[in-house]
Parts: sequence; C-alpha cells; structure tokens
Amino acid sequence: MPDVQALVGDFALKLKRRKVEGSHASARQTAELLRSVVSQQRLPHAGQAAVLIDAVRAVGEQLIAANPVELAVGNIIRRVLHIIREEDLSSTTTAMEGLGLSADSDDDNAGDHEDRPALSAAAVAAAARSALRAPSLHTLLEDIPESAAVPHASSSGGDSEGKSKSAADKSLKSRKLKHDVIEAINELIQDIDTCHEQISEQAVEHIHQNEVILTLGRSRTVKEFLCAAKEKKRSFRVFVAEGAPRYQGHVLAKELVTKGLQTTIITDSAVFAMISRVNMVIVGAHAIMANGGVIAPVGLNMVALAARRHAVPFVVVAGSHKLCPLYPHNPEVLLNDLRSPADLLDFDEFSDCMDFASRGGSPLLHVVNPTFDYVPPNLVSLFITDTGGHNPSYMYRLIADYYSADDLVVKRRSTS
Amino acid sequence: MWRRSASFVLEKYQLPSSPMESPKSPQSPNPNPNPIPNLNSTHGISAYYQTRAEHHGVVTSDWLAQAQAAVEPPSPPSERTSPGSGKPFSVIEEFNYWRKKPDLAEAVAAIMALAAVIRSSNGTTMMELEIELKTASDALKKGDRSSISLSAGCDLFMRYVTRTSALEYEDFNAAKLRLIERAERFGEISLKARRTIAMLSQDFIFDGCTILVHGFSRVVLEILKLAASNRKLFRVFCTEGRPDRTGLRLSNELAALGIPVKLLIDSAVAYTMDEVDMIFVGADGVVESGGILNMMGTYQIALVAHSMNKPVYVAAESYKFARLYPLDQKDLEPAIRPIDFGVPIPSGVEVEECARDYTPPQYLTLLFTDLGVLTPSVVSDELIRLYL
Repeated sequence: MPDVQALVGDFALKLKRRKVEGSHASARQTAELLRSVVSQQRLPHAGQAAVLIDAVRAVGEQLIAANPVELAVGNIIRRVLHIIREEDLSSTTTAMEGLGLSADSDDDNAGDHEDRPALSAAAVAAAARSALRAPSLHTLLEDIPESAAVPHASSSGGDSEGKSKSAADKSLKSRKLKHDVIEAINELIQDIDTCHEQISEQAVEHIHQNEVILTLGRSRTVKEFLCAAKEKKRSFRVFVAEGAPRYQGHVLAKELVTKGLQTTIITDSAVFAMISRVNMVIVGAHAIMANGGVIAPVGLNMVALAARRHAVPFVVVAGSHKLCPLYPHNPEVLLNDLRSPADLLDFDEFSDCMDFASRGGSPLLHVVNPTFDYVPPNLVSLFITDTGGHNPSYMYRLIADYYSADDLVVKRRSTS
Repeated sequence: MWRRSASFVLEKYQLPSSPMESPKSPQSPNPNPNPIPNLNSTHGISAYYQTRAEHHGVVTSDWLAQAQAAVEPPSPPSERTSPGSGKPFSVIEEFNYWRKKPDLAEAVAAIMALAAVIRSSNGTTMMELEIELKTASDALKKGDRSSISLSAGCDLFMRYVTRTSALEYEDFNAAKLRLIERAERFGEISLKARRTIAMLSQDFIFDGCTILVHGFSRVVLEILKLAASNRKLFRVFCTEGRPDRTGLRLSNELAALGIPVKLLIDSAVAYTMDEVDMIFVGADGVVESGGILNMMGTYQIALVAHSMNKPVYVAAESYKFARLYPLDQKDLEPAIRPIDFGVPIPSGVEVEECARDYTPPQYLTLLFTDLGVLTPSVVSDELIRLYL
C-alpha cells in the first residue's frame, strides 16, 4: 500500500501549500483520494467496517491537519465515514433478515446485540435500524445507543459465531461491502460535480423579471446560478462588488457580460449606498456551519448587515459538500486564513514603513489580510443547496442526514 | 388569573375547571381578603416548586453523595410496592415517593410511578394496560399542573408504550416486563443525558470566559463541574435568584469546586452584562416553539442578553420537551410560590407569585440537549416526529 501513502502525502502537501484551493476542488480531490484508500485497503474477515473506518480516519487526520481552514476536506471525510457505517448497517440488516435471528456480529455494535435478550426479530431489526440515526425523542426510551461507547476491539471478540460460516460466504460479503462503499463514494463525487447544475436549476424560482441582484466577489455557484436564470429568458441586472483585495468581482463581471447579462461593478464600500436599489443579495460561501452561520469570503458580513438594514433577502448558494457539522464556537473552526499583504500593498512604496530593521524589529505598519468572514445565521434569509432551499435553522436536519454523530471528531480513538 | 388562551392544549386543561371559574370573579384583585395574602394562599402553591425547594433545602454535594450511596442498592423500590402493601395502589403516592429523592428529575419520578402502575396492573391485554396507564397519567397530571416535565414525562412514556408494544411484542407478559425494565432504566438514561449535555457543552466554554447563570439547574451545575475538572479557566456570575435563593446555593456548590464566583442581585444583570460572555440557564420545560419555561427572571436576562448580543445557552434534557405552545407570558397556568418579603405586606397589595416565565425562542441561541446541540426550531421537529 505504499502508493496510497504516497498519494495521501502528496495531497496533504498540496493542501498545506495551498496548491489545492476552493472547497469544490478540495472536496472532489478528497473524495477521489478516499476512494482509492478504500479500494486499496485490505480487509480482514471480521470487523471490516471498523478497519475501513480506521483507515479513513487515519487519512482524514492528516488531511485536516494539512489545512484546517479548508472545512470541505473534513466534511467529505465525515461523509465517507458515514457512508461506510450506512453500507455496513444495511448489509448486516439484510443479512439478519435473511438469516433470521443469528445476529451477524461483525458490525461494531456487537456488544449491543449479545446482551439483548432474544425478544423478537422485529425488535432487533428496529434497534439496528435506529442505531445510525441521530438520537431522538423516539428512541430515548429504547435501548441506550452504545455504539459510541463500544470499542472496536469488541467486534473481533464476537466473531466466534462468524467463523462457523463458510469462508466463501465471507469473502463474498467482504467484497460486497467494499464494492458498495466505493459505489457510494462515486455517487458522492458525482454529487459534488453536479451540484452547480442542481442549484442553478432553481434559479428561475428565485430571480424574477427586472430584478436587481447584488453579489460580492466571484463564486462559481453564483455565476452559474445567474447564467441559468439568464438562459431561461429572465432579464435582470447584476451589481457586482469587486471583492477587494483580490478583485475577483472583476472576473465575474467579465464572465457575466459575455453571457449577455446587464452588469454593474461597484466598489465594496459602495454596497451600503446601492443596497436600497437591490432586490436580492446572492452570494457563495466557503462553508455553512451547523447553526446556520456562514463562513464566507471577507466583506460579506458587511453586505449581510447592509441587506438586513434594508430588509433585502440575503441568499447563500452552496453545494452540500460545504455543509459542515461543526459549530463556529469551536476555536479551530474560527481559524482564518491570513494571506500575503502583497494583495493589498505594493511592497516598493511601503517598504520603508515595514522595515524590520528599525525600531527593534517591530515596524509601525502592519498589514492584515484575512480571507474569511463569519455571517451569523440570523442575517441569512435562505440557503439554496442542491437539495433545495432551506432556512438557516433547518441546517441541522441536513447535517443529521449526511453525517453520523460519532464522526464529528475525526481524530482516531487512542487504541487502548 | 390567566386569560383564556387560544392554545388548544390549555383549553383542554381548563374545561373541567371552567364552571368554578366564573367569568367575573376568578381571582380578581384580592380573592382572599386576608392581611397577609402571601402567607395563606398556600392552597394554590405549585407542588413542583415546593418539592424543588425541599430538595434545595438539603441538597449539598456531600449530602447528595450520601443519598446516592443510600439509594444505591436498587432493590427497595421494587419490593416496596409489589406484594406487601395491602392498601389499594395509588399513583400519586408512588409519584410522591419518587419525587422526594433529590437527585431524581421530575420526569423520572413520573415514569417510575407509571412503571409501578404496570407492575400492579391486573390487566391481561395491552389495551387494558394502556387504559390503566392513561388514567394514572391523567391523575398525575391533574395532581400537579404546574410541572411541565411531569406531564412531558408521562406523555413520553405513554407514547413509548403505544408505539412499541403494539408493534413488536407477541407475548403480553414479555412486553410488560420489557416496559417495566425500560422505565426503571429511565433514571439511568436521565443521568446519562446530563453527562452527555455536559460533554457537548465543553466546546463552548473557552478559557477566560465569564458565564452568567440564573437559577439552580442540575444540568448547568454538571456542565460547570465538568469544565472545572477539564481545567478550563472561567468565572461564573450567579444571580441571587429571589425568592428561594437558588443562586446562593449554586454559588455555594461552585465555590466548593474552586470556581471563581460572583453573586449578583437579580436586578444587576443588565449592569454586569457587558462583562459576560455567555449565559447558561436550565429549563423547567422546553415548549414546542423552542422557547423555554424557566425560573422567573430568565426572560428578562434573555432580553438583556439579546440586546447586548450575548449568546444564551439552555441546558435541558430532551424529556423536558413538552407539547405546549404558549403564546405569551400569561398563557400558562401560573406556578404559584410563596414570596417572603421579610415585612408584612399591607392589605390590598397584590403580589406576583408566579415562579416562572416563558422565554420565546428568538432570544435563545442554542439548546444543549442529550439529542445534540440544537437550534430552538428543532424542538418542534422532534416533538412532531414523536407524536405524529
């Protein structure tokens, strides 16, 4: 497996050096990398899911450490872990239904199954089904879910029963789990690729004739969203705030003009002056947090506040790979990328102000160039993701669908 | 003295009592023209707050440890009621027995009492058992209408019985045993819930923060305890919590843990708010809107916090989610609690004796529950999933 290790190290280095940037690219490449990790992983007969999860976790830890600011990487790792759990569960439940009650104990809830009195097959199946779901009032009185507490070691303890089964059956099953997981990861990659189309399909529902749309900076999702509305014969105007200091707005404006959209460029500081004429603000995001807050390109909090002041809807378009199950209160999430001051200043002109040789090594002029803003959930009116439009307070639901609670911390458990 | 409300849930509660409550007189300015109304209006006192006060009268951590040690052998409860008692079984008594235990939550006591109903039931079909449980839980709810978590606990258990029993058990006796077993483990579930909440909330407490706490909540205490044992550096502002001085008691506990504590009088909240980084409160009940019912004063603290942009975190176990939808403060039956002003109150002066208020969801930032860290709007989702 040295080739996988090399791939992982290579990708981690790319992330570290910011050679791979943008949530779409990093999400896609992470998914592809994990696919090869899964396919190269050799699986023992028992506890396959646990082995796979451990392998993915190990890779995940490295990748997240390489660029903790790129939340999409962590999201994809958690998605893949969730996929493995789900596939494992569905294969065990189908096995259980087929075999009656001979509870197949190579899932990681083995301890759970053993101590349960043989009540009825239906009850066991129900419990297994609910094992992956997020805890809810439903299941409060049912068995205490112990999947989080049961160490993975227990799964190897429970395979005495499994050994009795024929080896052929086993190897068939092992190939099947891996196959299913890879299939699901392929689907995930496809989802990441098609999310722009899925989102822009909804454009006509949101953009109406003769409206004025404001956006800041450049986001591919926003561009495709606007173009899709234009293609469906909507005529509307777009104000593009240029998005200092990288001025990506200029690029966006150019792209929109080539598509035949009526476009106006304004400076970032003119947003408040123009906002009263705007019907809707549509922006992209870097990541959507679990509470519905948004980590977005710098300057968007200001736009959101201006929009709120004039009661203009503030709409965020983002693919579901940007959905992050963490809360922005976690200090590691509030990390911001501080970029080179070269974006802001020409070094020649200011070199004497920033001379580290004078004044004991601390120059009078400092330049701070942060990349991200945090927009609190109460300033966001609507999220448009590939699954439709959602309220900020609804984000938790999508997150419960996509991630399992055990994976929020990707760090590998210390194997005691 | 509450108004008739649009809330259907309350409508149901008020129907039986409506003949008594004639349109004119209800409890207009002064129903009992006594010189010191607050001393002898005991008839209306909320049993919930009374037991809480009793608990708090004795609850200190070392006492709790002792009590826990005494309770530890789990045999007595099952022996106590099942065969020996010659007198007819009463849910209320059973419930009162359980609620005396200071470390048991109200909902746990309710579910324990319902388990005792199952145990003493002579029914032979699921239907009979369900009817018996229904009457018992109605009796419990009528016994103390002010306790939200009591009715929420009853509802939760009833729902569990109807949902699971009909579907998944062929043998009635097995089903009965299973139900009793689940009910008796509920105490454990509740303790585990508290630990889960404490763990979930640790990420939100950062070094050097100042936390404002209102009321004595076991969950909040657990959170702060865990944070202290994780060697987080923080300080706590405790409101005094008139009239039952819950804040004093909490500050006692926290000081014993070595956490720096500052006591505030209840009216000093706005004055100190600029130093505060976050507010932690417990809840008597979490209602469908995602708002909370909690000790009097929570609402105004939440309002002050909202206007100063400070996060308000609520720590509550999920079995406190109740199917209520109060539209305003007076929408729920007030939980009356005596207030000692230290001096006699002149006759003709009214006293606001309600023990709790309703904090609407827009003033709450997040709820820490054993189901996870939730936004207030999740509460209705969970309730709908359970009851529909």
